[in-house]
Amino acid sequence: LKQLSLARGAAILGGAAVMLASLVLAAACGGDDSSAKTGAPTPARAAKLTVVDQRARATVNDTTSVYFTVKNTGAADRLLSVKADPEVAGVAQVHETVTEGSTMKMQEVKAGVEAPANGTLELKPGGYHVMLMNVKKPLSVGDSFKLDLVFEKAGTISIVVPVVQDVTATGSPATKAP
Amino acid sequence: MLRDYSRAGGRRWPWSLACSPLPSSSPPRAKVTGSVPASGDGWEGVIVTPPITKPKATLTDTSGQPFDFQKETQGTVTLLYVGYTHCPDICPQHMADIADVLKTLPADVSSEIKVVFVTADPDRDTADVLRKWLDLFNKSYIGLRGTQAQVDDFQRQIGISPGTKEDLGSGNYSVSHAAFVIAYGADNAANLLYPAGVTKDTWIHDLTKLVREGWKES
Repeated sequence: LKQLSLARGAAILGGAAVMLASLVLAAACGGDDSSAKTGAPTPARAAKLTVVDQRARATVNDTTSVYFTVKNTGAADRLLSVKADPEVAGVAQVHETVTEGSTMKMQEVKAGVEAPANGTLELKPGGYHVMLMNVKKPLSVGDSFKLDLVFEKAGTISIVVPVVQDVTATGSPATKAP
Repeated sequence: MLRDYSRAGGRRWPWSLACSPLPSSSPPRAKVTGSVPASGDGWEGVIVTPPITKPKATLTDTSGQPFDFQKETQGTVTLLYVGYTHCPDICPQHMADIADVLKTLPADVSSEIKVVFVTADPDRDTADVLRKWLDLFNKSYIGLRGTQAQVDDFQRQIGISPGTKEDLGSGNYSVSHAAFVIAYGADNAANLLYPAGVTKDTWIHDLTKLVREGWKES
């Protein structure tokens, strides 16, 4: 029974989380009233994407990183870019941490990142992250800010990102052997 | 120097130091070719052969005092990392994880460990910026800087290609930096490396062993 009503349950849970904890702020259920709650006009074609577990590090200088997970229950889509409120950060880019021999570096992912069909796109430490630069004022634990995620098919999804103490807390480290 | 990083510890690492194409300008680098099954109470970090010696260098700490790396860390288990404070991802993650681990470890172990962070980006990381950033994690962390030439040389001595800057636009740049934390034993040699993604359990296991038993192959 639970499995049969999974989609409906997920939608209800998503809606509840928006109201209660601002943790799920995507169009979990296209065409319903969830877009009204986020205050952003979410196109119906965004119906297959859900963004969860968004979180950011506190700042000590004018940069920080944002992580989140995109759950995709539909066809493949692509995170093309991110846009921060200019009052929060001057520049927002999708970055990737890559290892080259004994060193690692971050680089902008200009071609975007795929949210695979019926799969998950996870931005987490050591992999993809959103980098905010020219951050206008310090971001401390407990603060939150709006971030727009621009997808190729789903359009723009607005999320509210809380600044947290431990950015690994909501994500799985996933470093165990397969 | 060509190092053999092939004998990883008891866990399979999901990353590989050999997985990315090497910059053509770089000398041949060590590679991880896989992992060896755990031998009971073996090491969980990546074993590096030959071990990395301590760089002969005097940098400057965050209070402006000279810091002779060999002398100041002599005979002490020392975790060395090269990064920069504008690094939003791996650097703060390593520093936060190690801070958590130090809180978790028994006092007789944690009190025997020094953590040294060397900035690869001394232009932006002034002593003040470095201190404030390290204090976010643990006030006992040692932060070192110098001229760009000094920190580049420091990195070369430990087998790391000095950080190259990558323009990110609007006056921002990223800096390449060490892909792993280097763990020196009380014998002043580093046989163990901890790449990004290492779990706190691995830190706790290996640091306890390194402090109490010292390095020995197992």
